[in-house]
Amino acid sequence: MDITILGSQVIGIIPLGDIVFYFTPFNLFMFASALAFTALIAISKTETQVEAEFGKLGDRAVKVAKEEFKIRRFLAVICGLATAGAMVTGDLFDFTLFVCLIGIVNIGIVGAVKQVDVLDAAFQYGLIAMMASLPLFGGAALILASTGTISILAINSLTFTSPMMILGTLLLFLGVAGETGVAPFFATKAEMFRTPGSPFLLIIHLSSLLVIVRLIEIILIINKPF
Amino acid sequence: MILVPDVVSPIVVGLYAPAIFVGIIVALIGLFGISVEKNDLHVLILTDIVGIAMLVFVSAVGTDLAESLILPGLVVELAEILAISEILMSREMRKSGKSVDLLPTPLHFDMEILQTAPIFVAIILIAYGAFLSGFTGGVIAGAGILFYSLSIKVRGVPSGVWDGLAGVSGLAWCLWLVGFLVLFVFPQYWLLGLMLAAFGVFIKVAFKAGLIGIMNREEFKKE
Repeated sequence: MDITILGSQVIGIIPLGDIVFYFTPFNLFMFASALAFTALIAISKTETQVEAEFGKLGDRAVKVAKEEFKIRRFLAVICGLATAGAMVTGDLFDFTLFVCLIGIVNIGIVGAVKQVDVLDAAFQYGLIAMMASLPLFGGAALILASTGTISILAINSLTFTSPMMILGTLLLFLGVAGETGVAPFFATKAEMFRTPGSPFLLIIHLSSLLVIVRLIEIILIINKPF
Repeated sequence: MILVPDVVSPIVVGLYAPAIFVGIIVALIGLFGISVEKNDLHVLILTDIVGIAMLVFVSAVGTDLAESLILPGLVVELAEILAISEILMSREMRKSGKSVDLLPTPLHFDMEILQTAPIFVAIILIAYGAFLSGFTGGVIAGAGILFYSLSIKVRGVPSGVWDGLAGVSGLAWCLWLVGFLVLFVFPQYWLLGLMLAAFGVFIKVAFKAGLIGIMNREEFKKE
């Protein structure tokens, strides 16, 4: 391989028609950690959350019923696989689709809980995620319009950076921030974490961390500041 | 730098910037509506306008690739609005303490044709759909199955049939996926992949009606 991405060599690619997955040491590491966490989730059992009661000395155990636990583990595994896919995909639009899948599955993981305020937070998160699909896909479409391709490997070999590409990546960043619920939109997601059923909820957090790191890599590849 | 080939007329190329501006204006209208509106249901519906602005952005590119990107964008949009409306419904149910059926208005059809001719009409539609195959055929055959399920509901729905339909629909979807995988991995067997995908999607779209049948059964409390 003679393609260099951000100073590291491409170890290998998986060519599936025009959908290309590529591996560098950097994203291979993130891919493996996402898969390892997903495997841990697939074999783990949910915790019982203990809440202190307000104004009394008693405790209250919040258990997750078997049905709800199964569907939540399934969605958490899907979320982990989507995260792993977003790490290695070499196609910008596939990346945005993986991010959208993460957003939808995050809503689903907390969708079956009984606390009204958690459902309220999930609803607000869902609204933001839906609005964020505008800059997400719009940014990808702007990059497609200004470069003529959505393959990250092909964009990497371009020699120019036009203002439209910078605008596109900015929109892409806004979209991913809204879709995964990071910094400005974090309030609703913090509320969602109060749901019982611990190891499965952590995938929401891990997926947003890994996706943001991967997004920064993509932004650097597209804009080539170095 | 202009990437557009010379055969494309300059009018079409010049439409790109106006289309982007239209998208921005549509998005601003939607966002303004969301900021003013206080009712949760209305906010949810207004959010769909922002999603349409996203489709305008993608379709403004106007190439084959953009065309193939619109469909996943639309699907993502629909999936999100379904997920959020489920959340909204379950929140309102928890608040009010009442549970609501999936199909709140029971369907009452008292038509002669539903009693006498369902199997004949359904068979014609399904046969014509099988002849067409692909998405279009799936829709027509699905209409046949839907008609059959609606009419047979007058007499009573057999509970086991719908589970079978949903199962076959899932298997056909796998067939569709396998067909696509064949296209990508072994391009030389494209005909096999094409046929697998065409008939997989035909059966899958047709048996979407099975899901409606499941809804009916839930409504009838497992007859």
